[in-house]
Amino acid sequence: MKCGLYEEQLSSYLDGELPAARAARLEAHLKTCPHCQAELEAMGGIASHLRAASSLVEVSHDFDKRVIRACGYWQVKGWQRPVKSYLRPLVIVALILLAALTAVWTFFTQPFEPMPQPAPARPIVAPAPPGSIAPGLPDTEQQR
Amino acid sequence: MEEAVRTGNLPVDGRLETANDAALVAACKERVPGAFQELLSRYRRPAVTLAYQMLGNMEDAEDIAQEAFVRVFQAIPRFRGQAAFSTWLYRIVTNLCLGRRRRTKTTVNLESIREPRSAESPSRKVTEAMLTRQVLEAMSPDLRAILLLRDQEGLSYCEIAEALTLPLGTVRSRLSKARIAFRRIWNQLSEGGEEPS
Repeated sequence: MKCGLYEEQLSSYLDGELPAARAARLEAHLKTCPHCQAELEAMGGIASHLRAASSLVEVSHDFDKRVIRACGYWQVKGWQRPVKSYLRPLVIVALILLAALTAVWTFFTQPFEPMPQPAPARPIVAPAPPGSIAPGLPDTEQQR
Repeated sequence: MEEAVRTGNLPVDGRLETANDAALVAACKERVPGAFQELLSRYRRPAVTLAYQMLGNMEDAEDIAQEAFVRVFQAIPRFRGQAAFSTWLYRIVTNLCLGRRRRTKTTVNLESIREPRSAESPSRKVTEAMLTRQVLEAMSPDLRAILLLRDQEGLSYCEIAEALTLPLGTVRSRLSKARIAFRRIWNQLSEGGEEPS
């Protein structure tokens, strides 16, 4: 029963987490108790058992690939940022090119319309008095 | 490097391999190419191993570890660094494992533990590894988790308390129970109650 009480403290003592006064009492007990000494030593060996078992575990070769694929390849690779930084000037250049092409296309595809010619100048003739022959009429008209 | 440790900045040479975890987390937030891969490279094995020791099945362990890394990747912009990165990752892995254990009862797959390449008494090493797995499998998941975080991953009591969101006193008492349980089960499973060396 006495050992049982100390047994609960062995774990904390092993990790240096036992208060000094209780640690001193436990150390005094350990000097006289081979069972608790053996228990303490065995508890200290648990870590080496766990590490030995875990050292035999082998991770699949494609584990990283699967994780990166699950996370989103381009985001993990850090390409999001470079793409954004290059995107702005690219968009600006593309817009300028588009505007220039549109202007050129519009210019060459519109139907050619000649400049409107001014109407031929007509002689200003004063109105003829009634009964007189209007000047400038053809001779045939004058003969009639 | 000292400065990098305090500030969480990348080292002057810019090499991710020499950066500490805090600097890599900061680099991940800045989307520095390769930063997440470096964290993945560092913690791939501990995460899978912890999950394997919790679940006893390699396929499930890699699934859990993969899910944990995806969660880390998604949540890293919001990670404030109050706990160490490793503590945070182990918390995610442990919680995922405990959640899966509650849903499904898995069996120990001893074939998952392979023969080591070294010639130094391989059979004994493998036999002990199998026994260790059987002991872990026989323990309750809560005790197993706390034992693995302390004795396999080397977390401090405070880090375990953070990882499992438990009071420090509970960590202390539960770890004691876990170690006593491990010892008793080991003795039961060992032939003739042989003491672990």
